[in-house]
Amino acid sequence: MPDQASPLNVETLYCDHHSWLLGWLRHRLGNPFDAADLAHDTFARILAGRRVEDIKEPRAYLTTVARGILINWYERKALERAYLEALALLPEPEAPSPEHRQMVLETLHQIDAMLDTLPARVRRAFLMSQIEGLRYEDIAARLGCSLISVKRYMKQAFLQCLALLD
Amino acid sequence: MPGAAGLITVMHANPPLSPDVLEQAAEWLVLLNASTVSDEDRQACERWRGEHPDHALAWARAQRLMGKLESLPPRLAMPALNRPRSTGRRSATMKLTGVLALLPASWLGWRLADNKGWMADHHTGTGEQSSLQLADGSIIKLNTATSIDLRFDAVQRTVVLRHGEILIQTAKDTASARRPFVVRTNEGLVEALGTRFSVRQREGQTDVAVYEHAVRVEPRRAPISAYLMLESGQSASFTARRAGTAANVAAGSDSWTHGMLMADRMRLSDFTSEIQRYRGGLVRCDPAVADVRISGTFPLRDTDLALNMLANTYPIAVRKRLSGYWVTLEPS
Repeated sequence: MPDQASPLNVETLYCDHHSWLLGWLRHRLGNPFDAADLAHDTFARILAGRRVEDIKEPRAYLTTVARGILINWYERKALERAYLEALALLPEPEAPSPEHRQMVLETLHQIDAMLDTLPARVRRAFLMSQIEGLRYEDIAARLGCSLISVKRYMKQAFLQCLALLD
Repeated sequence: MPGAAGLITVMHANPPLSPDVLEQAAEWLVLLNASTVSDEDRQACERWRGEHPDHALAWARAQRLMGKLESLPPRLAMPALNRPRSTGRRSATMKLTGVLALLPASWLGWRLADNKGWMADHHTGTGEQSSLQLADGSIIKLNTATSIDLRFDAVQRTVVLRHGEILIQTAKDTASARRPFVVRTNEGLVEALGTRFSVRQREGQTDVAVYEHAVRVEPRRAPISAYLMLESGQSASFTARRAGTAANVAAGSDSWTHGMLMADRMRLSDFTSEIQRYRGGLVRCDPAVADVRISGTFPLRDTDLALNMLANTYPIAVRKRLSGYWVTLEPS
């Protein structure tokens, strides 16, 4: 007989709510395989996190954690989709080899994560400089701002990358 | 003890560096990435690197960063990294992590914040409409079969339109830093410039109509020079690559916000697909009457009534099968 007073632990959290969470994720993703992965990630994050016994509303808590994981997942997918689209448009001789493709994608994920919290304008300026190779003067003209601003954006972006690079 | 400092350096594969040192490294990177770099600049940077072991470590990190950036093929990296997205997403996730660390004391606070909607999801089912007021006073009306996510935080006011159609009445931002109000669709961004406007996500296309002031349309794969300004009374459709051209907003195109469909010499086939949006099941129209033009105002909350009104006015019969699940408009 279940003891109502016993504190929640990860095992009971898992047993009682895993299939419910799976359904919640499947409803959003429309695909049981990704849902299973993300449900796993959700519990992994909770395990790595903190005192499960303090959780008062397990399902609200689970969806809060799962939602964060879901957003990250969508953004990763969006990056991969944009990358694959760009790859498809590239003429054959310019396309990187399959192994190189995977490396590029991994680096893209890293850079993407580092630039993520930056304001759109700062990120745009940084990408124009570091990916497109534009001069600061040209970036200022394109963004309609001063050279000083471009340098400030660049510093903000570089600092952020340096702080997050591991 | 001699050697102790060296030992510690070896043990930390990724030593923590002070923010000051990282900031200096960032400043050197800005300087050395400029189009004109003098020999004096390079020498000054070298001197800085030699001044302290931490400087050398920070510079090693900077070089790893530059190595990663240089390894990316521009034509692949630019579309991937410059794609439209919610700029505060990770800050939202970080906030989430922070909040989780404070649980359970702030659990209630977190849920209230969630209800205020910086990361909430809102949906309407087929035939439903709803209206919500955001923390900044802006109002969003959701039309039938619509889902949106809100990303409101210190730096942004972003509405992610996943499906359907919304009408937005923005409020002046009261936050000290002016946060842009942006609607993101699959095809790109629509930035509000103090305004009332609607955005509809279609298959591979976004429709925008402006009722007050202006918006800027930014297709996600188009160059900045191709961005389109829409003024009050203008509408446009855009894809990820092209902004389209501005046209006049059709009369009554925002009548859905009053629960009505206003038709002005509308083709019956277009009327059918409009009604379909608000009705579960299938609505189709016989090709023989597809080009019949109809006019009138029809209730969207009661599509059966709307169809009856149509049949009473025009030589059209409404044939319902499967308990109304399957509707065909035919010549009567």
